[in-house]
Amino acid sequence: MSVKKRTSDDKKNIELIIDGKFDFSLHQHFRDSYVDCKEKNIKFILNLSQTTYMDSSALGMILLLKDHAESCDGKVVISKPNEAVSKILEIAQFHRLFDVES
Amino acid sequence: MATFSEKRDIKLALVVDDSVMQCKVLSVLLKEEGYRVFVANDGARGVAMYVKYKPDLVLMDINMPIMNGYVAARKIKSLSQDNSLCPLIFITSMDTDQAFIESIDAGGDGILVRPFSPAVFKAKIKSIQRISDLYGQVKTLQQEQQKDAELAEQLMSGVIEARNFSLDRIGIIKKPAELFSGDIQLTALAPNGDVNIMLGDFTGHGLRSSIGAIPLAETFRSMTKKGFSLFEIINQVNLQLYNLLPADLFLAAGFASISSHDKTLYAFNAGLPDAYLYSENGTIKYRILSSHPPIGVLPKLLPDSRLTLVSITETDRVILISDGIVEARNEQGEMFDFARFEDAAVEGVTSNNVCKSVLEAVEEFCQQTPQEDDISLIDIPCGGWENILTSSQTVENACDQSISDIQLDTEPAWNWQLSLSGKRLTSTNPIPMAMNQINEIEGHAEHWQSLYTILTELFVNALDHGVLGLTSELKNSAEGFSQYFEERELRLKNLEEGSVDLQIRLYPFHNGGRIIINIQDSGQGFDVKKYYKSRGNISDRGVLLSGRGIDLVEQLCDSLDFRKNGSAVEASYVWTL
Repeated sequence: MSVKKRTSDDKKNIELIIDGKFDFSLHQHFRDSYVDCKEKNIKFILNLSQTTYMDSSALGMILLLKDHAESCDGKVVISKPNEAVSKILEIAQFHRLFDVES
Repeated sequence: MATFSEKRDIKLALVVDDSVMQCKVLSVLLKEEGYRVFVANDGARGVAMYVKYKPDLVLMDINMPIMNGYVAARKIKSLSQDNSLCPLIFITSMDTDQAFIESIDAGGDGILVRPFSPAVFKAKIKSIQRISDLYGQVKTLQQEQQKDAELAEQLMSGVIEARNFSLDRIGIIKKPAELFSGDIQLTALAPNGDVNIMLGDFTGHGLRSSIGAIPLAETFRSMTKKGFSLFEIINQVNLQLYNLLPADLFLAAGFASISSHDKTLYAFNAGLPDAYLYSENGTIKYRILSSHPPIGVLPKLLPDSRLTLVSITETDRVILISDGIVEARNEQGEMFDFARFEDAAVEGVTSNNVCKSVLEAVEEFCQQTPQEDDISLIDIPCGGWENILTSSQTVENACDQSISDIQLDTEPAWNWQLSLSGKRLTSTNPIPMAMNQINEIEGHAEHWQSLYTILTELFVNALDHGVLGLTSELKNSAEGFSQYFEERELRLKNLEEGSVDLQIRLYPFHNGGRIIINIQDSGQGFDVKKYYKSRGNISDRGVLLSGRGIDLVEQLCDSLDFRKNGSAVEASYVWTL
């Protein structure tokens, strides 16, 4: 379980990679990973390709990220969720709030 | 409860050492630190004095006659109360790893090896006392929190579960992972006899996740009672939770309204697993999939949000579940999942005990694995609700025929009217306002629900057939039925003109009263004669999906009169006390 962060050279794209279980235990770590990124127009890419499970508090954490991104005119894209995670995103109808890239 | 040691001002220390000299030295040092000191010269006496004085600190020699220090330490630790640490320090001249390890194993909180200076001794005592104080604080906080939580839980279940409607007919599973459930189940009866239910799952579990439950329950109940439609209730609940809760706290929820006289299920799934409509023999007639992000995420429901409408029969059942059921895990880490749930549900539907069947299946699957998330389910039959409605309608059915002959040339006691036109017709539901008016002036009465039904049916008729020009023949087939509602929605959205006038007059008499309702719409009207004639031709009206509204209104009214070619209607409702 971890959050990795990759910033593109132009600093416009920030990729957050969640490894393993995405749940409340990552709360502080996840928040710390983006809270200081306050430049305008950042695209946050939430890479879920290595995420095995996600619970409803993770959905809440993604919404907090969205609030943060939008407060600096940026956006959040959810990237490569596996089947189990996609199912959870689908039940929560998150594709209507976020771009989800497969 | 405050313990003895918390109450007293002077701290007590117990020194257990077979050397009288050592005891004296330690006593002097402890007294300088403000302790009152008791002394024992062997382990057994040490334990006895511990029991008698409950000291705040124990200093223990290791090698002693009768009972050595390790044995005495184990006894003392097993006797010490849960909420005080009672630190125990071994004092020894054995400067070996073995002595250190054994001291800690025996329950010692530290070890001090001779020789030591008075300053080092005092520093050690201070540090150990600091830890002990901290331990006490944590324990006290924990107990306070537990007490608060229990009280809050009591309040919560009082507000939520105790006021649910018809618990004898609606099956509910509620199995929280902690003291507080983040899941909430609500049931309430609408004035027209519809039964509204909601199963919600707040993010997370425990106290934090249940703070939204009380305002949610209040809104759901009071709006249902006032006769707001399910969709209006969902809109309001969404707005309320959006304003109330932080961004990462929200409610995955399924809503359903069972309308017995419409033979229709109205449902909305915002973030819950599939909800089910089961037939009597256990086949899944319909799945209500999540079609919207959870409640409280967005300030407004998405613009294309709509209720799902499904035709139902008396023997169908609706089942809502939270993800705690399908995600429950066994020892091997497998999930219970949908297939197992559906098997258990089928068995439950056919044996008429869904809760028992599902709960047993989950428990058998999970065995002793600790429950990670709240588990909950609502199981509600689609039929049998009319009896509940009609039993409270007997009031006016029993009314004396002569009452209706009373002259109406007198002035009404009061008169209320409202004209709605254009866009306002789509955004305003005048019926709760009218009911509010009646309740305000006349006080609450059970039989007002009949009046509510009359008003609703006549208003919807005026709006649908008069203003929107929909024909109810569409509703005569199952496909047409949903087509009708789609068309209705479309026309409502584009509505620019048209109007409905509503007037209510009340004439009291000594043991009851009469309410005259006049509703007029801007539409073309319909062929009233042909309508009544066609009704006479059909022997079994039960099979028709339309026209039930007017039937119902006629049963409830004292008289019903279509005028102006059907674009106006006057209904008279009489009641006696």
